[in-house]
Amino acid sequence: MQSPRTGWGLLAPTLIILAITGLLPFLYVVYVGFFDWNPFAATKDMVFAGVNNYRRLVFDNDFLQSLGRTLVFAVCAVASELVLGFLLAQTLTKEFPGKTFFRTVFALPLMVAPIAVGATWRLLTMPGLGPLPYYLDKLFGLNYNIGIFSDQATLTLVLMDIWHWTPFVTLVFLAGLISLPKEPFEQAQVDGANRWQIFRYLTVPMLMPIILTTVFIRMMDALRIVDEAWMLTNGGPGTSTLFIGIHIWRIVFPKTDYGYGSAMSLLVLYLTIVLCWLLFVAITSARQHEVEGMRG
Amino acid sequence: MSANKHPLYAARKAWTLVPALVMTLAACAAPPPAAAPAAPAAEQPAAPAAEMSFWAKAAEPYKGVTIRGISESTPPSNYVKDVLAPAFEKETGIRVDFETTSWDQQYDKAIKDMEAGTGIYDFVYIEQDIIYSYLKNNYLTNLTQMLKDKPELASPDFDISKFTSFINYFKDPSTGDVYGIPMEAFVKVYVYRKDLFDDPEVQKAFKEKTGRDLKPATTFEEYAEIADFFTEWGKDKELWGTTVQAVTGHPASFYEFFETIAPSFGVYNWGISQDYRASVDKGGSLNGDKAKKALEFWVGQLKNAPPEATKSTWDEVAATFAAGRAAQGWIYGENVAWIASDPTRSKVVGKVGVALPPTAEGVIEEAKAGKGYIGYYDGGAFGIPVSSKNKEAALLWLQYIGQPAVQPEWAAKSARIVHTDTFNDPKVAEMDTQTNGYYTLLREQGPLFAGAPPFPFHAQLREVIAPFIYKAITGELSPSDALDQAAKAADEELVKLGYAK
Repeated sequence: MQSPRTGWGLLAPTLIILAITGLLPFLYVVYVGFFDWNPFAATKDMVFAGVNNYRRLVFDNDFLQSLGRTLVFAVCAVASELVLGFLLAQTLTKEFPGKTFFRTVFALPLMVAPIAVGATWRLLTMPGLGPLPYYLDKLFGLNYNIGIFSDQATLTLVLMDIWHWTPFVTLVFLAGLISLPKEPFEQAQVDGANRWQIFRYLTVPMLMPIILTTVFIRMMDALRIVDEAWMLTNGGPGTSTLFIGIHIWRIVFPKTDYGYGSAMSLLVLYLTIVLCWLLFVAITSARQHEVEGMRG
Repeated sequence: MSANKHPLYAARKAWTLVPALVMTLAACAAPPPAAAPAAPAAEQPAAPAAEMSFWAKAAEPYKGVTIRGISESTPPSNYVKDVLAPAFEKETGIRVDFETTSWDQQYDKAIKDMEAGTGIYDFVYIEQDIIYSYLKNNYLTNLTQMLKDKPELASPDFDISKFTSFINYFKDPSTGDVYGIPMEAFVKVYVYRKDLFDDPEVQKAFKEKTGRDLKPATTFEEYAEIADFFTEWGKDKELWGTTVQAVTGHPASFYEFFETIAPSFGVYNWGISQDYRASVDKGGSLNGDKAKKALEFWVGQLKNAPPEATKSTWDEVAATFAAGRAAQGWIYGENVAWIASDPTRSKVVGKVGVALPPTAEGVIEEAKAGKGYIGYYDGGAFGIPVSSKNKEAALLWLQYIGQPAVQPEWAAKSARIVHTDTFNDPKVAEMDTQTNGYYTLLREQGPLFAGAPPFPFHAQLREVIAPFIYKAITGELSPSDALDQAAKAADEELVKLGYAK
């Protein structure tokens, strides 16, 4: 039997690297969050501000609005991806001509880097030049311009996210559906359950851990969106797609308001952790419920 | 038998080598790219033999050193990357690793490097408007002092007095010492479609509609009238009356308004007073009548601009005009040369006219009296960060790009001039004809334009004001409300930054 010392010795390199690359920067951000620090201010020095930066956040409309619009975006995009992903996964459990080809093409967006996705959609939607505004105008007489209409820009971003990430959700659900035992479904059919009842009382409960895990992963991703939105809309028109990630970037880099930006980052991290925790509790209780159901 | 030793595996492995072999052969057979070091060097005017030996001799201790630099991807910077850097490498053995990227990225990377003192970059792009922030924070090496301290590195062909007065922007006002070597300088100019303006049928139609002769606008009323006319006339021709650099979410729109439109209405220095106040009631003019009129005019021109205007930065505006989609507009001078002369990129070669931007009453007179300016004199320099680890090699490089021999070709290719003598070069004269007088305008009328105000808080204030301009563009706020709110936010920010008490 190996001694605990050997175990710690083996873990040490990883722990040291994690401490240097993860923990130290985090502690530094916590530290900076308590200061007023802008290198381009009249006083370049860091000035201790206590919790003032955090107090400012509560009354900062720009921050609260960007947080709100990020949540709306994440909920709309993830909810749509879940529904579409489930339907597509169900379709892919059945045999049909060209299934393999469809599955391959369908998964392609997953392999594209977010910044490239943003660039592609930017070309597609460029007012006056892109094919999307052209055909929407020709076919439906719709004046589509994401440089001027906020609702269109937000909707386009949601659609882009759905296009990019629905394949991921589909593949996860497909793996889940394939791994479900067949017996309960056959038994339910024998007992005369209709398709809705099978879906409602068997498929969904049995898939619940996978659904929640997918929601967990996708929500985290959607809340952190920066590159795709940055490429497609720059946070515009106006500030209508200025999501929290872009907002923090603007505060920390062009504005070089390091203290306030650090406080903002930490609050967002805190909110993300709370959200993660809630989802984690939901997943755990779902698993517990499932285990109890099987025992019962 | 392991999978690796299976004959099929071996055959597959061999097949995978075929594309690599084909690519290698193709690379060997293909002619060298246009940007290869030898070709550009040959394009440049022959430098005296003594000068050539200076670079080789002075660079001797730094042979094999790699200097890293960063800049915005613009025609002048790309010329540096494709032509001057390879030529310098060939001459000196010093490798130049030059990154040209987007405007915001290059700032982001350069500032982070200089602030942290990491020393990644040995030379950085300093746009005229950011120099004051960099000087305040002591980011840059004093080049005058360095040349004095290291006379063995001072090129006999490098002479500060050969530069246009644009170099003054890169001097410390208190000492006169130079902190950046200008590599580009140009004005944001009024361009128009000369072919259309000279077309008798168009002239007739314009006269019938407006009762006036069609000629480049000198006032905003004329500008709007011309824009209205061409938007109507160009309905079925994919032609609009004007460009507007009105992207929202990107500072390009902020810049077009505050550096081009507002000054031509008589609002200077972004409407910020000398004691750093923005609101009219505090002594500024950011929300004054002139500024409001200017924003109303500019936002009002969106109806005459092509749909891409609200997604257009300086690059897209140039592309719009080059694609023949606008009859007139405001274009950064660095783009004028290629728009007027490069048929592979522009549909309006030989059809470009240039003129002074339209101005409000009295603005030209104020500019001539030195009390104002009519538009933006833009440009930038390369400087050496204090944190650079290869300052000597970088100093040689900066002198190399600042020597007279490289200027004319560079000026003709990218419409930038930093040496007074360059204006007289035949290559520039030829390009002046192609651009219908852009270089003449730059030389003769350049003093009417000015660079950005000397704010050490340039980017910080811009980030505060810009969102209100974006909201005016989308119609979320009226121009008047947008400027009132912007002025209030600017005042608060200036107090917070400690500049206004």
